[in-house]
Amino acid sequence: MAKTVVLKIKRQVNPDAEPRWEEFELTWKSGMNVISAMMEIAANPVTRSGQPTTPVAYDSNCLEEVCGSCAMLINGKARMACSALVDKLEQPVRVEPLSKFPLVRDLAVDRSVLFENLKRVKAWVPVDGTYDLGSGPRVYPTEQEEAYPMSRCISCCCCMEACPQFNESTGFVGAATIAQVRLFNQHPTGKALKHERLQALMGDGGIQECGFAQNCVEVCPKDIPLTKAISDTGREVMKQAFKDFFRG
Amino acid sequence: MATATTTIKRGVPPLQAGQGRSFFWRRLHSLSGIVPVGAFLLEHFVSNAFATNGPFAYRDQVKFLTSLPFVPVLEIFGIYLPLLYHALYGFYIWFRGQTNVNDYPWAGNFMYSAQRWTGAVAFIYIGWHTYTMRFTGTHLMGSGAQAAFNKVQVEMHNPWALAFYIVGITAASWHFAYGLYLFAAKWGITVSAKSRKYFGMACTAIAVTLIAVGLATIWAFVGPKWPNTPEKLPAEQTTLDGNRH
Repeated sequence: MAKTVVLKIKRQVNPDAEPRWEEFELTWKSGMNVISAMMEIAANPVTRSGQPTTPVAYDSNCLEEVCGSCAMLINGKARMACSALVDKLEQPVRVEPLSKFPLVRDLAVDRSVLFENLKRVKAWVPVDGTYDLGSGPRVYPTEQEEAYPMSRCISCCCCMEACPQFNESTGFVGAATIAQVRLFNQHPTGKALKHERLQALMGDGGIQECGFAQNCVEVCPKDIPLTKAISDTGREVMKQAFKDFFRG
Repeated sequence: MATATTTIKRGVPPLQAGQGRSFFWRRLHSLSGIVPVGAFLLEHFVSNAFATNGPFAYRDQVKFLTSLPFVPVLEIFGIYLPLLYHALYGFYIWFRGQTNVNDYPWAGNFMYSAQRWTGAVAFIYIGWHTYTMRFTGTHLMGSGAQAAFNKVQVEMHNPWALAFYIVGITAASWHFAYGLYLFAAKWGITVSAKSRKYFGMACTAIAVTLIAVGLATIWAFVGPKWPNTPEKLPAEQTTLDGNRH
């Protein structure tokens, strides 16, 4: 018999339905990843025991770990499904949706909280206006090198899923947003909103909720120095708090 | 303010940008663990280590501490209130967290959990220790200093109490040392990975040192050097017949 791989996938037809597990057995192929395996399931949606079922619903797009869509729990850990090579995973491969985001269906979850958080800290460079402002200030290579790792964030939310402090009772903003604050506060034009971003991070669910378990930096598929960004921003927030209090 | 109106119906709520006071209370919690609670812990370890110089040195150190001006004020505002705040707010932090060390069994995450458990153990231990040493038995104020060594020694005759001392000292030392590490990381003192690594080593050394000092102190009470110290040492004398000192 040909070599096979087994996937155990947590299914749920809608947000209110009961979740259930389905097992699939697929013929092994070289270089298989969790997304390609689910594509094969979609082509022939039959469980291991021969029951016909529906294709698995999930978000994915680029299939090269740059779009951030396909984050899910694979063997219990948050990671990108497209770069989760089946050969490197323990079998059966357990696939579940991210647990801290509202479920849409099967493995698709609603991660709009990150977008909302990014809006609340104004994670952008304010350049909109009614006339041409000309070219921006020069960013030197040393600064570029510091900013670049943080600019690689793909909004996958793995750092938030793995964080013990990111949950409904803390309302913690999560590492990704803090790193974006760090990124845009460093930008020569983005700096204009620096104090507003830092003040936003002092709110409930802000940077103070970080417990420094450091899971974020471990799970980040883009190797963003998240703990460094949190530490650095922690200092800036503290400085801003003193400024606000003493200088007004 | 023109913030977005999107509301997220379920799941983790978004950041309450600029709203609320939790930043202040959380940072105060962090600071209170260093000053005054951590500072008191160090003072307490050093003062008790005077026992390693014998019952008379211990008597004199207790006398010095109990004769400080405004002792009740120092106790209440320097120890009890900050300690209670740090402990109770600490439990609040713990219960709102969602430990996941089983899913992510990594060093930092393990230490995150350990920081909560060591805090709880230290708190229970400190509660018991304060009850037996400060609020019951011979009061150590005034001439009570002469009874101090004996009081500790008698308590440590109970093997369960002795074991609790060892556990409590270890938990408190660990919690304090890792608390220093967390403080430096969160307040942006050790920003780079390199500085955090080296400071982590320094904190480990601090923990080991504190535990060693604690064990040496315990040994002064339970070891063979000063067995069966009298219930009340003479006020002035600095040697006892039959005791090497």
